[in-house]
Amino acid sequence: MNKFVSGLGAAWLAALVAAAPASAQDLELAITAPAGAGGGWDSAARSLQEVMMATGNAKSVQVINVPGAGGTVGLAQFVQGADGKSDQLLVGGITMVGAIITNDAPYDLTNVTPIARLTGDPLVVAVPASSPYQTMADLVAGIQKDVEHTIWAGGSAGGADHILAALVTQAAGVDPAKVNYVAYSGGGESLAAMLGGQVTAGVSGYGEWQGQIRSGDLRALAISYPEPIEGIAAQPLKAQGYDIELVNWRGVFAGPNVSDDAKAKLEEAVAKTVASPEWKELINARGWSDYYAPSAEFTDFIASETDRVGSILKSIGLAD
Amino acid sequence: MDSILYLLGGFATALEPMNLTFAAIGVMLGTAVGVLPGIGPALTVALLLPITFKLDPGGSLIMFAGIYYGGMYGGSTTAILLNTPGESASVVTALEGNQMAKRGRGGPALATAAIGSFVAALIATAGLAFFAPILVKLAVKFGPWDYFGLMLIAFITVSATFGSSPLRGLTSLGIGLWLGLVGIDQLTGQTRLAFGVPNLMDGIEVTTLAVGLFALGEALFVVSRHAFSDDAPMAIKGSIWMSREDWSRSWRPWLRGTAVGFPIGALPAGGAEIPTFLSYTMERKLAKRPEEFGHGAIEGVAGPEAANNASAAGTLVPLLTLGLPTSATAAVMLAGFQQYNLQPGPLLFVQHPALVWGLVASLFIANVMLLVLNLPMVGLWVKLLKIPLPWLYGGILVFASMGTIAANPSVVELLMLVGFGFLGFVMRRYDYPVAPAVVGLILGPMADSQLRRALQMSLGDPMILLQHPGSATMIGIAVLALIAPFLFKGLSRFRQDED
Amino acid sequence: MTSTQDAGLHRPTLIIGLALFALAMITFHDAWNMKIRASYGMGADAASYFVAGFLGLLAIGHLIAAFRPQPEADAADWAGVIWVSLGLAGLTLSVWLGGGFILGSTLLFVLTARAFGRKAILTDLLIGLALGLGIFLLFNKLLTLALPAGPLERLF
Repeated sequence: MNKFVSGLGAAWLAALVAAAPASAQDLELAITAPAGAGGGWDSAARSLQEVMMATGNAKSVQVINVPGAGGTVGLAQFVQGADGKSDQLLVGGITMVGAIITNDAPYDLTNVTPIARLTGDPLVVAVPASSPYQTMADLVAGIQKDVEHTIWAGGSAGGADHILAALVTQAAGVDPAKVNYVAYSGGGESLAAMLGGQVTAGVSGYGEWQGQIRSGDLRALAISYPEPIEGIAAQPLKAQGYDIELVNWRGVFAGPNVSDDAKAKLEEAVAKTVASPEWKELINARGWSDYYAPSAEFTDFIASETDRVGSILKSIGLAD
Repeated sequence: MDSILYLLGGFATALEPMNLTFAAIGVMLGTAVGVLPGIGPALTVALLLPITFKLDPGGSLIMFAGIYYGGMYGGSTTAILLNTPGESASVVTALEGNQMAKRGRGGPALATAAIGSFVAALIATAGLAFFAPILVKLAVKFGPWDYFGLMLIAFITVSATFGSSPLRGLTSLGIGLWLGLVGIDQLTGQTRLAFGVPNLMDGIEVTTLAVGLFALGEALFVVSRHAFSDDAPMAIKGSIWMSREDWSRSWRPWLRGTAVGFPIGALPAGGAEIPTFLSYTMERKLAKRPEEFGHGAIEGVAGPEAANNASAAGTLVPLLTLGLPTSATAAVMLAGFQQYNLQPGPLLFVQHPALVWGLVASLFIANVMLLVLNLPMVGLWVKLLKIPLPWLYGGILVFASMGTIAANPSVVELLMLVGFGFLGFVMRRYDYPVAPAVVGLILGPMADSQLRRALQMSLGDPMILLQHPGSATMIGIAVLALIAPFLFKGLSRFRQDED
Repeated sequence: MTSTQDAGLHRPTLIIGLALFALAMITFHDAWNMKIRASYGMGADAASYFVAGFLGLLAIGHLIAAFRPQPEADAADWAGVIWVSLGLAGLTLSVWLGGGFILGSTLLFVLTARAFGRKAILTDLLIGLALGLGIFLLFNKLLTLALPAGPLERLF
């Protein structure tokens, strides 16, 4: 929807940066958020903008929103516009991996240069408070008994929520193509369906539902993170005996054909930003988890995620 | 009782001179940016939000409330004066409002919109303050089947905007429905009618269609007729203020519009458009002189504008009580709240009562400020119409295309805008109404996904639509509304035959 | 819409009918080739078939109406329409080819004013330029909303 540059925020932060230490790098960056205002990638881009400028790791940062098609519109524009440029970054994540496959997008993440993985949020599997299911084992037994009437609510088709629902169904020993997954826009409407008791279970980013989980309106059965997380009572699926892990990760990329020198400079700026106390404070406030990985590790990670997401999307009939 | 104390405390903060100034600035900025065609409330709030970060939490919350209501109100001005709705919720306002302006009654039209917005927002904000926790319990019970019933009613009511020929009205609606198919289907990820163009993947932007059909189409049509008419149609006749008759014709529509707008706005997938359609139809049915509709009936401005603003307050119900942003504007607002460490959700009212009631007080103050600042502006706005036609339409086209490329800077979007402009011209030339196309684009995709969600939950059994009392009732109403006119017509013809 | 044609074929109605029929066929074809099926309930193609059918019925309605008396469209000043079209084309090309927003909107303003019969092109050029510049400064500088930039915009 809205493509605009966050200007006033930038102007305001520029004033802060004026007071930043003299060692400040002279990077003048433009970060593409391949989504509209308010979404996860948009807030990731804007958070990066805020902290990079506040810590003096960049002189100025502009955020450009290019929404569309699970981020693939922004990716295509970025691949064409940022070729060889040392001052362009793109935010992306696991949803983009799925969208590239389901939309048959002309460009994929091998066309861009991974700089760093930034955050990784757990997904939560939850049921309405009135549900008879008390534990993950109850839900899995329910799936085995009647997969058709086990109705899931979550975000858009082929996204991370959908993939997790399919993985849980698969782990229950049922054909994942049979999962009855009802897609809603964003995290909002699926929450209403959960609270209204119209569905059996739901998947969402933990942060989006934590208010309802704390107030007892929803019962969290499991999280998809590999290890337990402090402050979250629900245990990982892995710890409950299901071999599933899925992290809603986000990272930054530079354009194609970036010189080694420019790449190293961007890596350093991002690494320094992520190590700063300001970043730690900010991701805490947003309810995100640090999932930093440097360029080389991130590149391998993307390859394995692409394989994994591709095969599960195939099994639920969204890709061929 | 505690809530009243908190509310009073909120008012005490909001009424400080400094904070009143912030409210005034917020309202002015919100209105000024919201007035631009193509820049809806979501973009307005997003653009202006960073300004508020500089202030202390109290002041910024107040300015924020001003921007929100200012942006919601701004769209009606261009809809009335220039037949250029800035956002989808103002499309209905343009129908009667612009007819009024063309008959020299732009002043009363703007005034009834401003006062109606004020009344609606006042009542709806009070509703938000006192009934939000109850209302939200009902709202989440609204299932996909119920939404589908509501959509059906909305579809039937569209026929009120059809004009003289049902074939032309239905054709316009059909074009809107067709455009609504374009893009990636949310439920299955299947792409429809995008022909591999990435910019089409997310579907057709409603504002692009509305601005194209209304603003560009109107300009092309007016220029095609300009040489043959010696009229200066937009002069001001009579008082620019509302007459006694205008008042007596407006106050009921304001209240009815509020009654429709607030609860539908509070539904998680309700939106601001459907209440405006429903309100328009209702006023048309209830009007003492229904023949005036289509020629500048003030009820047709008063009702939908009230409904629009009441739904804006309604949107805050799921946002504050569930943390659930139900519109693009609300999503931007949510980001704004988080800046003040205000995490909307079920515990918000319990954990941060002072902030919540401070916000409610701010909304009241912003609303009053909106009226105080905008009523005197009516005289100024109406003078816009005195600009000579060549410059007026030159300006309209520049602002309309600017709004579209600013919101979405791509050549494809601009080409679509121009294409819709020519479509609007052809439709006007051959007497096809343009509003049903916009309505089709809004309602079509909503009805499609809600129906399919309902059928997915019932494993394909259509009876689910009749098993739930809410949806069964609404579908019943829709069917009645559809066949009643034919029945009555048949009946009266039958009687005539007997004579 | 003052006069009504008495008899014979009403060509605009016929053409619109044929256009609707073409849209219906495209939609049907698009739906026919959809690969992703819904596991439960209806798929994404159902709405396409519905709309295709609806458009088909409307097309038939138009074909029938074309043989009935239809209101005749009023005379049009095509020169004016062409001037405005040139203005819109000017803006689109200017944005497309990197001429920028100010140049494009000035063209649009001047040509629209010309369409309404103004001949004082220099005055209109100045007004259009001032308007475009004002909008650009407001958006790019104050709101920092990225309007398309060209040579003129880079001066600021």
